[in-house]
Amino acid sequence: METVGFLLNGFQEALTPLNIFLALVGCFIGTIIGALPGIGPVNGVAILIPLAFTLQLPAGSALILMSCVYYGCMYGGRISSIMLNIPGDEPAMMTCLDGYPMAKSGKAPEALAISGIASFVGGATSTVGLMLFAPILVQFAIHFGPAEYFSLYVLAFVTIGGVTGSNPAKTLLAATIGLMLGTVGLDPQSGVARFTFGDIHLYDGFQPIVAIVGLFAISEVLVLLETHHSERTGALPVNRAFARWADIKGTFGTMIRGSGVGFIAGVLPGAGASLGSFLAYTIERRISDEGNTFGTGNPKGVAAPEAGNNAAAGGALVPMLALGVPGSGTTAVLLALLISLNITPGPLLFQDQPQLVWGLIASLFMANVFLLLLNLPLVGVFTRMLSIPLWALMPFVVMISFVGVYSISHSTFDLVVMAAFGIFGFILRKLDIALVPVVLGLLLGSAMEANMRRALAISAGDPWIFVSSSISIGLYVATALFLVAAIYMAVSNRPLIDKPNEDEKGLNAD
Amino acid sequence: MSDRIAGAIFLALAVWCWIAAGEYAVDFSDPAGPALFPRMVALPLGLLSLFLIIRPDPDPGWIRWPQVAGQIATIAVLFVYPALLEPAGFPLATMLATVVLAKILGASWLQAVLGSIVVSFGLFILFDWGFGLPLPIGSIFG
Repeated sequence: METVGFLLNGFQEALTPLNIFLALVGCFIGTIIGALPGIGPVNGVAILIPLAFTLQLPAGSALILMSCVYYGCMYGGRISSIMLNIPGDEPAMMTCLDGYPMAKSGKAPEALAISGIASFVGGATSTVGLMLFAPILVQFAIHFGPAEYFSLYVLAFVTIGGVTGSNPAKTLLAATIGLMLGTVGLDPQSGVARFTFGDIHLYDGFQPIVAIVGLFAISEVLVLLETHHSERTGALPVNRAFARWADIKGTFGTMIRGSGVGFIAGVLPGAGASLGSFLAYTIERRISDEGNTFGTGNPKGVAAPEAGNNAAAGGALVPMLALGVPGSGTTAVLLALLISLNITPGPLLFQDQPQLVWGLIASLFMANVFLLLLNLPLVGVFTRMLSIPLWALMPFVVMISFVGVYSISHSTFDLVVMAAFGIFGFILRKLDIALVPVVLGLLLGSAMEANMRRALAISAGDPWIFVSSSISIGLYVATALFLVAAIYMAVSNRPLIDKPNEDEKGLNAD
Repeated sequence: MSDRIAGAIFLALAVWCWIAAGEYAVDFSDPAGPALFPRMVALPLGLLSLFLIIRPDPDPGWIRWPQVAGQIATIAVLFVYPALLEPAGFPLATMLATVVLAKILGASWLQAVLGSIVVSFGLFILFDWGFGLPLPIGSIFG
């Protein structure tokens, strides 16, 4: 029952006026970011991180603000899926399938209400899951030495390669590119300048936040310029979300199942919310599709993916907080925030700064309640925002990225780096190379290297230390299994002789 | 073909990193030294690049007319803006950049100019006055 005590302390931390205010602001901004097509959760959180950083909030408060934005995005994404048939963010893609048909047949209020409640169930379930599972993982991880951490990082990079992206070779390549970028700068142990071409600007390496804003936000603008449709059909005005109790009751089992599936998908490294909503939808269709109504406006087809993506959002926080290995793109960005605040996630965080961890968990419970309130009675505010034209939105996104990055270091060099990463990210996306592993490599590279060198220092250079404990061996076996599965899947999906199918693989591959 | 070119570039990068890391040897008690990790990364980087060269995916569509003109103009804005920011000041540089970006996205001149005034002064007031983060004001407004 010590969890209850921790949680009560957490609520004490979360219920300060500042933190309540930040949680509300975060939920509101997050819902907007999620609802607006073109700025997804990764971009939104990436753009806002420099702000959280420069406002010089206490670490716990900054984390609360950004996590509420993150949860808010997951709630908001469904709004434009339902109203416009355009997912507000990637995880909300599955919600289009049944949400938009519901809206077309005049059931938009029901679709918004059911998906809002499903989001709440998913979010609340996964926050409970986070509260229960993260400490267990911490108990386990407390025995990790440098060699075990090194094998954990190897596992994380390989699972990301297996789970995200169609071509595992490209995803693994992305991770190695990120790791290589992470070695640029002065080596913290020996002070040797690596890959800097003698340029003093590069001695500190690439600022992860600058790189992330460039890779995600700026490349997104370039992609949008190519794919945007000149005219967007406006959404019908909907002032509130409303559903009869009977409608909601019928989808309750769906919400619980979706939450469970989503949470597990979220905990897996590299999978994240998109996989959570996808799995939740597919499984629900298999379980309860009576008379092939999925895809034609079945309320369960709205409840399942929304419960799934919100649950995955909470699930992805588990490995990020307990191990320092993020489970999704957005949690990778949150990790960048923690690192810039000089906080190292992992088992020690739970021991040394329990008020930060439990304050966060308590505010996530709070955020779910705020978000339910924001998203049911006030949903009209957000649907009206869908008619903001692209010419007003996109320049604003670019400029706020510039201000945010500039306000960290007051260096125009960082702005150039950000722009360069934007173009690099655009090229990688064109080549179908995932960006999340690049960011993870850049973020985790230095910790991975430090653990490797510490392990070798302990063993006086004997490499057998990496396979000297059963934990390491277990992690390497898991890595090997993932690798084999990923290669098997890649080979069986693709014929050995490349067929020319340029036409199918169009621009919207990502 | 795109994958082959990218693979060749990344392969060259991996080889260069491997060679460049060779100069980082230091004779401290650190058994790994600053060279081992970059080399451990360069190896899979090189192998995966080779894979890309041997088994490339079909080419993506790189250029789509007329959108590419807007993309090039946007990239120009992204690089001109940092150069302009400190000499011209935040409000003016931001206004110019926003007008160009809004025009690229199909705004009318009136919309673009009004929007740019809102964005540039809005952000300036919010950050400089609201959050107390000094932004360069430039000689025109200073």
